[in-house]
Amino acid sequence: MPPPTAPKSGDALFASVERVNAELFTLTYGAIVRQLLTDLEEVEEVNKQLDQMGYNIGTRLVDEFLAKSNVSRCADFKETADVIAKLGFKMFLGVTATVTNWDAEGTSCSFVLEDNPLVDFVELPDTCQGLQYCNVLSGVIRGALEMVSMKTEVTWVRDMLRGDDAYEMRVKLTKQVPEEYPYKDDD
Amino acid sequence: MGREVAESCVDGVVMEMVAAYCGRFYASKPELAARRIEAIGFQVGHQLTERYTMERPRFSDHLEAIKFICKDFWSELFKKQIDNLKTNHRGTFVLQDNHFRWLTRVSIDPSVESIDANENDSTSLGDSAAQTTSMLLYFPCGIIRGALTNLGIACSVTADMSNLPACSFVVRIKT
Amino acid sequence: MVVCVAVVGHQNNPLYLQSFTEADDALKLHHVVHCSLDVIDERVNNPKRNSPALNETFLGLLYPTENYKVYGYLTNTKAKFIMVTTDLDVKDADARNFFRKFHAAYVDAVSNPFHVPGKKIASRSFSARVSTIVRSFSSGTTA
Repeated sequence: MPPPTAPKSGDALFASVERVNAELFTLTYGAIVRQLLTDLEEVEEVNKQLDQMGYNIGTRLVDEFLAKSNVSRCADFKETADVIAKLGFKMFLGVTATVTNWDAEGTSCSFVLEDNPLVDFVELPDTCQGLQYCNVLSGVIRGALEMVSMKTEVTWVRDMLRGDDAYEMRVKLTKQVPEEYPYKDDD
Repeated sequence: MGREVAESCVDGVVMEMVAAYCGRFYASKPELAARRIEAIGFQVGHQLTERYTMERPRFSDHLEAIKFICKDFWSELFKKQIDNLKTNHRGTFVLQDNHFRWLTRVSIDPSVESIDANENDSTSLGDSAAQTTSMLLYFPCGIIRGALTNLGIACSVTADMSNLPACSFVVRIKT
Repeated sequence: MVVCVAVVGHQNNPLYLQSFTEADDALKLHHVVHCSLDVIDERVNNPKRNSPALNETFLGLLYPTENYKVYGYLTNTKAKFIMVTTDLDVKDADARNFFRKFHAAYVDAVSNPFHVPGKKIASRSFSARVSTIVRSFSSGTTA
């Protein structure tokens, strides 16, 4: 085990990673969504695929995040949510999210984003109103949390592409797998 | 300096896009998957040139446009220029990147590295990692073709990865 | 004031056209825009030998009519921008500045993943942005 180090701040974390023009990311994602709509036809299927892509990305990003952030094991779901909002979003997207609307049991909360590089330049045409354009983000959250033994359901509540005042995703903890879950060794 | 995101975000979506098209959608039709991946790159290249040429005078000939791709355009994308540009002066240009970033960063099975560099026979590249790599390269090929097309240069673009991690993009201008 | 702006694609296909007058002179303005395309082609294909900026995007005054002055701009991707104004005394720098902002708005509009190249620009935010640019130009030069 490495000696315990204080977790980095979000800004320091973002400064420490390799960065690229957000345009490349934004336009690439946009082109993928556009092509998926052409090839899969059903908007629901596109939503599903974007979520799946996000999930796969999330399961990989979590390793990079833990390695670079010096974050040690979080005590509970609440602390985990805070770390994702303050450090996770910042490290990868350069923006921070706020965590709000906790339920009484402390098992569901909302991530709220007021600024989201994924949607720069995007205007949804009237023909794809059912499209959850940012589904890759909710997939990433779901995938990353699953790697730290938390099964979640993530749904979109507010979406600025549909005229809301912010992006809000609802994260609901459905199952916390016991700690001794042995996925760490035998790579 | 404009807005930035972590490079892993780009790596992530590109890798997942390639995996989705080659694995989930067109597993048995690689040539269809290739065409879709190229089309995604084409749109990105088309849009990026629009942005990156905003503050500059118009190019006066093909060579000037190709040089723009090798220098400014490549630097915006990969923080380095194309290492070597060759042309036969008959409309074919070879753009070589000695360390193509998407090949060095994107996780590829180590077995690919051991393939004899002179062994250009595609049957020997039969393992899936090499196939994924070659599918991945349709994306930058599409980007280059989209960029040049938007600058008024109709062309085809192919990639040659027989010298990993170096990668050459061959641009053939249509006459 | 600016009475009309237009964006025209590389095959002279109209991508955006908006007039800003109350008067019923849309047809006349369309005609003015149409004529300016020929002037642009002429300028680009037969550049003046000793023109200082051969490939500059800003093409300057294309031609004056009795009532209007028509300015042009040609991007590297061969999109043509046209601005028709009733101001007879326009500073070069103001016209340049106008096109620079107009161009930036256009680039963002075509960066929308759902925009199809060569098709008309349907974006509401683009229209709003262009209106703002037009208004600030008019207030800036007539004040």
